[in-house]
Amino acid sequence: MAVLFKLDNKTINDIDTTIIYPSSFNYNNDAIYYLNNNCVVITTDRRDYFDISLELYELFNVEYLRTKKDLTKFDELKLNILGSLNSDKKVYVFFNVLTYLDKEFKEKLIRYLKLANKRIINYTTDIEETLLLEYIIVIHDNLVIMEGTKEQVLNEEKILKKLGFNLPFIIELSKGLKLYGLIDKIYFNNEELVSALWK
Amino acid sequence: MEIARILENKPKNHIYGLMGNINITTNNNNYSIVTSYKFNGTVKEYLNSPKASSSLKMVMLNDEILNKTSNELSIGNLKKISLAKALIENKDYLVLNYFEKEQNYQEKENFKRLWKKLSKEYHKTIIIFTNDLTYIWDIAKELIFVDNYSVINTILKNDYNIFMDNLNNPEITKFIELMKEKGIDIDNYTNVLELLKAIYRLKESK
Repeated sequence: MAVLFKLDNKTINDIDTTIIYPSSFNYNNDAIYYLNNNCVVITTDRRDYFDISLELYELFNVEYLRTKKDLTKFDELKLNILGSLNSDKKVYVFFNVLTYLDKEFKEKLIRYLKLANKRIINYTTDIEETLLLEYIIVIHDNLVIMEGTKEQVLNEEKILKKLGFNLPFIIELSKGLKLYGLIDKIYFNNEELVSALWK
Repeated sequence: MEIARILENKPKNHIYGLMGNINITTNNNNYSIVTSYKFNGTVKEYLNSPKASSSLKMVMLNDEILNKTSNELSIGNLKKISLAKALIENKDYLVLNYFEKEQNYQEKENFKRLWKKLSKEYHKTIIIFTNDLTYIWDIAKELIFVDNYSVINTILKNDYNIFMDNLNNPEITKFIELMKEKGIDIDNYTNVLELLKAIYRLKESK
């Protein structure tokens, strides 16, 4: 796995990565670092509007935003994201932003960036978002406590719970079903688990 | 949208869930909106009260934070400071503006206990503005859906399985919906363990 960045003591590999952190973690320094490294940085506060093509409005099913008056902060966030999508920068960094988006917009955004071969780094406190990307870094007291593939990190239930995180719903359910002998492995998405249970 | 207008005619001292694509505002002196405000000076100067330490304790922070400025704080801690300030102001209504978004599971559970305590023992009315139904469905008496101009629906706790499409449904709900699409007859559970047992019973019966 190629190294994309060295950020403090965090190694950001050239793979889509979720960074989970506690509420006390101040990511200001990380944001400055990413900006200096020519990444697209999306936060709930930044307002960098660029031209948004009609195709993008349609693709994300938000044509209503073209003419809407009295934009809410959630509308502005979507416009902020759409306005960044034509950037030729390789890396997109989201600072606890996806959690404010609805499911449809979030899924379309991740799919769009993956198809465009962009690298995604997602800071979040929402354990469910760890299922979206392949690699996980866990931060506690400003230190990296653990990192690895999604499968490796989510298998460390005791450490995660000690740090205040639960497991994603589908992992927790899979573990229980495996214990009951109804399935023989852990599943990472709903469709595959339902299909495994009711072939 | 003026939050006081949404809550007019609703009973006090309860916990409400509030959902919708709106900006929350108020001119009503009886409401505190808790969000990640930036402030001038230190936390101590901002809170400016002999109750500063005790209110910080209630929001799960300690006195070490008193000498920090807002630029030194995480967004999660800014929200907690805003809550501490609201507790000092002691108004009847507390509006939590996406408060839970910087918290992990354990912190969310700890603050849920605080909302219950504030509602029951301190007679506060708590309004939790969020897009995450999982965060509120076990504590909110009623869910209020709003658009730009008005309340468009209210749903009582027993009917939380009726959702609007663009909200982030709980993962357990998505899973149960998928099972139903496959023709499997299953109730709407809100607890993983109960769902697990129900699936086991279904499989055993076959």
